[in-house]
Amino acid sequence: MMEEGAKTLSKKKGSPVLPDMRGYFGEFGGRFVSETLMSALIELENSFRKAWRDATFRKEFRETLAEYSGRPTPLYFAESLTRKTGGAEIWLKREDLNHTGAHKITNAVGQALLARRMGKGRLIAETGAGQHGVATATVAARLGFESRIYMGSEDVRRQSLNVFRMKLLGSEVCPVDLGGKTLKDAISEALRDWSRTVRNTHYLLGTAFGPHPFPLIVRSFQSVIGQEVRRQILSAKGKLPDALVACVGGGSNAIGLFHPFLGEDSVRMFGVEAGGRAIAPGEHAARFAGGSVGVLQGTRTYVLQNPDGQIENTHSVSAGLDYSAVGPELAYYRDSGRIIFDWIGDTDALDAFQELSRQEGIIPALESSHAIAYGIRLARSMSRDQTVVINLSGRGDKDVMEVSRILSMKEVDKI
Amino acid sequence: MTVKNNVAPRWKRGASPSPLIPYIVAGDPDLATTATYLDMAAKKGIFAVELGIPFSDPTADGPVIQAASQRALRHETSLESILGWLSGIPRNKLPDLYLMTYFNLFHHMGVERFCREAQRSGRIAGVVIPDLSYEDGALYRPVFRRYGINVVGFVSPTTPPERARRIVRDSRGFVYYVGLMGTTGSALTLSDETRQVVSTLRQWTRKPVCVGFGISSGEMAEEILEFADGVIVGSRLVLDERDPDRWRKTFEEFLNAAGKGRK
Repeated sequence: MMEEGAKTLSKKKGSPVLPDMRGYFGEFGGRFVSETLMSALIELENSFRKAWRDATFRKEFRETLAEYSGRPTPLYFAESLTRKTGGAEIWLKREDLNHTGAHKITNAVGQALLARRMGKGRLIAETGAGQHGVATATVAARLGFESRIYMGSEDVRRQSLNVFRMKLLGSEVCPVDLGGKTLKDAISEALRDWSRTVRNTHYLLGTAFGPHPFPLIVRSFQSVIGQEVRRQILSAKGKLPDALVACVGGGSNAIGLFHPFLGEDSVRMFGVEAGGRAIAPGEHAARFAGGSVGVLQGTRTYVLQNPDGQIENTHSVSAGLDYSAVGPELAYYRDSGRIIFDWIGDTDALDAFQELSRQEGIIPALESSHAIAYGIRLARSMSRDQTVVINLSGRGDKDVMEVSRILSMKEVDKI
Repeated sequence: MTVKNNVAPRWKRGASPSPLIPYIVAGDPDLATTATYLDMAAKKGIFAVELGIPFSDPTADGPVIQAASQRALRHETSLESILGWLSGIPRNKLPDLYLMTYFNLFHHMGVERFCREAQRSGRIAGVVIPDLSYEDGALYRPVFRRYGINVVGFVSPTTPPERARRIVRDSRGFVYYVGLMGTTGSALTLSDETRQVVSTLRQWTRKPVCVGFGISSGEMAEEILEFADGVIVGSRLVLDERDPDRWRKTFEEFLNAAGKGRK
């Protein structure tokens, strides 16, 4: 039924023409929203396409990232970790060194500049770990938007530091006490707000998910990650990396790293989902391991759902990966076999969190710790003359309290 | 080949004894109570009932329907079991039924399979799917149509005229005008805009044009029926769903108002 979309893939090497005009990546994607939001999405798509072709907008985006966020972020050779692992060279893309501590600021800057062009006065956003909420609150402060952030009440509890940061930056934080009280519920509540306020409000969606054109917009802004890696690794090693690794919640740091390399057959790509406590209903967030194709929050993609089609709640130690669905573009490349997906559980992620801290003096976000854990395992299986680039999507300051709580509980368990 | 549905809408525009369309969440508080509400509605000769199938993540609904859906999810209220349950209710105890829920439930059951079973049950006039956009719906409407299941089209205050025209053209059963911007249960204040848009839609089509979202009182229903063919009452009725006496009272209030409002 939907093979047309697939045929448009990759006429020109490295730049697949996806999504198609209806917002589909093959059979994934689309625009499953209420009619009230349709005009806003069409307006957003038109404004984005126009802005993206406009050299002035691109320059403003680039310069804001350079001056305000500190881009390009370094590509760092983790020598000590590489030596200890014994295998391929491990390189870290230091997205944690961005202003506000994660890759999320890049998309927030891009969309806020776009919203200003569109004449919107108010921003709303959802957040899981709080990184996207902080990024949105930050750009709202800088560009003079009113802003409100929706956050599941379970995430409010475990990411209280980020809640305070958002408030400090002048945003209103709305805890969402529905469903699993995490990211999924925050997105639903943001969509509800948007359907009331769509005429003056831009919904600054934080990941490559949701109704078209959000997956396209977020990918376009975040692709700067992969573009920088390409330049940096060529300059450092004179060749492309052999493998790329990124954690996958909605998928923005992953598609941002992967997209510029999709046409390079020699570069293998690995997306790492949250395995939580176990691959059983409600215990994890590995959509490709335990999910099936469904429609949630505006898009057709892999979703964790029960036999009746009700959406399942999820669990992960990292709030940013704790989500029932995954970006449609990643679903497409998963089915085509271009990107390999696997999962890492809570325990291994916590180990990697500590390992990177000790080996390299870098405390990674719990989300990124999933990619670190997988990347170490992958590097070990590869030869010394190969390179692995792991996207260190965020820093772990926000997680230290929660990790400290979990580790002290484990100590108690041992006694 | 088109399969004729034996539950084509019974009422032509303006011909039903009452232009009221109550929204009822299946299984709130339990299916036996839902059945008595359906029976009551059938006896009053209302235009149709929107029967809500609870979904875990109702993004277009406000707090009242969200809470009712959560309660109903504790019972056997999957799309499939609801079809089975309806088959067991005598046809004369049911009004025309439009199943209202989010697209994932149809998608998960399989649209074709749903249509086959809905058609076989002889109880379903159509479906109301708030998150099936006009564009994505293009893939699925032909399947529903093949089985004679009406797919109701939505027009909202943000829909541009040329788009509204296409939606109205492809809508079946009735046209759903979303009276306010927001989620179900927010407060609607009637504007001249609503009146004008509905009048325009009615000039384009002979299908009934019904207004829903935010109809919180009998007076408002009455006023809307001065210019619309039907009025959909959701959250205000769902609020009383757990208490049959209160539900009956509110239902009758709306019924009376609807009777007065009709031209």
